[in-house]
Amino acid sequence: MLEITQGLLGGFATALKPLYLYYALLGAVLGTITGVLPGLGPLGAMAILLSFTLSMDATGAMILFAGIYYGAMYGGSTTSILLNIPGEAASVVTCIDGYKMAQKGRGGAALTVAAVGSFIAGTISILGLMVVALFLSDIALRFGPAEFFAIGVCGLILLMRLSGGSLLQSFIMILVGMALGTVGVDFLAGTERFTFGNVELGQGIDFLPVAMGIFGIAEVLTTVAEKESLQTVQKVKMRDLLPTMKEWKRSIPAMFRGSFLGFAIGLVPGPSPVIATFVSYISEKKISKNPEEFGEGAIEAVAGPEAANNDAVGGAYVPLFALGIPFTPAMAMVLGALMLHGLTPGPNLIKEKSELFWAVIASMYIGNFMLIVLNLPLVNVFVSILRVPKNILMPVIVIICMIGVYSVNSSLLDLLMLALFGFIGYILRAVGFPVAPLILAMVIGPMIETSLRQALNITGGNIGDMIFRPICLTLYILASLTFAVPLIMKAIRKGKG
Amino acid sequence: MIGNTPRNHKIIALFLLGFSLFYFFGSFRLKMGTLKIPGPGLIPVVLGGLLVFCSGFYLYRVVFQNRRESMGKEGSAEGDKNYRAIAGVLACTLIYPFILEPLKFIIATFAAGFIMLFLLRPRRPLSSGFLALSLAVGAFLVFSRLFGVALPSGFLENLIFRIGG
Repeated sequence: MLEITQGLLGGFATALKPLYLYYALLGAVLGTITGVLPGLGPLGAMAILLSFTLSMDATGAMILFAGIYYGAMYGGSTTSILLNIPGEAASVVTCIDGYKMAQKGRGGAALTVAAVGSFIAGTISILGLMVVALFLSDIALRFGPAEFFAIGVCGLILLMRLSGGSLLQSFIMILVGMALGTVGVDFLAGTERFTFGNVELGQGIDFLPVAMGIFGIAEVLTTVAEKESLQTVQKVKMRDLLPTMKEWKRSIPAMFRGSFLGFAIGLVPGPSPVIATFVSYISEKKISKNPEEFGEGAIEAVAGPEAANNDAVGGAYVPLFALGIPFTPAMAMVLGALMLHGLTPGPNLIKEKSELFWAVIASMYIGNFMLIVLNLPLVNVFVSILRVPKNILMPVIVIICMIGVYSVNSSLLDLLMLALFGFIGYILRAVGFPVAPLILAMVIGPMIETSLRQALNITGGNIGDMIFRPICLTLYILASLTFAVPLIMKAIRKGKG
Repeated sequence: MIGNTPRNHKIIALFLLGFSLFYFFGSFRLKMGTLKIPGPGLIPVVLGGLLVFCSGFYLYRVVFQNRRESMGKEGSAEGDKNYRAIAGVLACTLIYPFILEPLKFIIATFAAGFIMLFLLRPRRPLSSGFLALSLAVGAFLVFSRLFGVALPSGFLENLIFRIGG
């Protein structure tokens, strides 16, 4: 407990420095803007800004990214409630009842409940992150290559189950991502793999152009393909922002329920903020005394899911900080930013770079506070961003993506990769393939390969020794159940039908 | 052209199978090693084998199992899409790496920006030109001066640097 208190105080001392406060504010504002803009999302913003974090130190980069992630969750709810447009996927559920509330003239109250819910959830998730990440990192220090291999494989299996699309499509994307991860010089043997004699490819396919192509350029292509539609932006008056006592009473318990649920779901691989909102919505409806109000403007249906999606953000940081494994595409971006600064996340990072860990935790809290102070009074300003025509915004995003990729290595090959993966990402999305597994597998793949080869070396090629270890066996059983149970249930239902 | 149609699934499946076969046979050039001392080719061979199997199965599924369902559905999800804009944005991202160093940053960025803006708002060439120029100069100032990114520089870039002090 003393360690946590000391760490947190130290974190606040660092995060309250003017430069870091500026990064937290910048991240919160940029995140809100990307959350408001349909399509771009936190991932796109992180992808675009990844290369620019080079001019900051690692702590600054982490603070900026945390601000973007939280800000995007706040921003997404604004357009969902006022315009029935989910700025990002985690805000889809908020549209259902949030927009109904806006139509009934309670849009301001829905915004306040969403913001307060997000703040409470953010606080709970930070507390959870501190405790769980520290606990997990202590355990993870005892992990060997076999355990890390098991975690990586199980993570990918869970991701396959949860990422949407068909299982086969997800599995193919994971395999393609892992295959891309094998390109370059194998650092254990020093052998070139799939480089075709290209020196630049010897360093491997960089994560940044692939991620920016698949999420940034592909998103632009998807957006420009659709015809422009003008948005009618509603104004929210300050006096309408205050919920009634009855609305507070109904929403506060939902916020806490959503928070705990969101944090737990955030620990699981996959699009956790999105899943958390759906699970929260369904559970709120089940326990509600007035389930008939759901879909017609129930305030719990805004409070619960909004808290859940923010809390899932904190949960998603746990596996990254404690194990060094990103379980969501956004965390892969955070991992990319850490690696750009020469840091390898994992159990040792929390011990060796404790000032960074605690500064990020403290800045999350500061960022959440900034968001609630900024977003409610400035709600009309953020919503008015939607008035910028897409046909101006999209070329700007493409140019920023191109400069961003070029600025890291001054490599023309990276720019070509950006274009190539932009096209591939667009095609894959168009035919309904999930692209997140590809990116995550590309990042986790090399870690899985290294762990497997090290584990085989240690055990003398005995696969049984790798599987029948307590942690490994537990993980494999859990992953097998996650994979098999829904298939068995489906078969049973089919048999009955 | 591009949409969630059975024909496009078949094209993707064929492309995936081609990639899988290329990767699988390419991985045989690498040393496999043994289970005790795994070589750099072990994982690529396993991945390649799985890829060939899965993409082959996917191709089988989209070609044979969905044959009946696809009858009459070709082009159903094509929608009313702005393919000129897609092609333009893609062309710009592809051409940009080739013109960046010969034309230097401002002219290359202006050209790419102008083409994209012109394709997306063809009735406003003048304002597109002005916007593209502002974007190129603004991006140069922000990224070069503020973020310290080394961008390809020529006469124009040096001039801006001199004006800016």
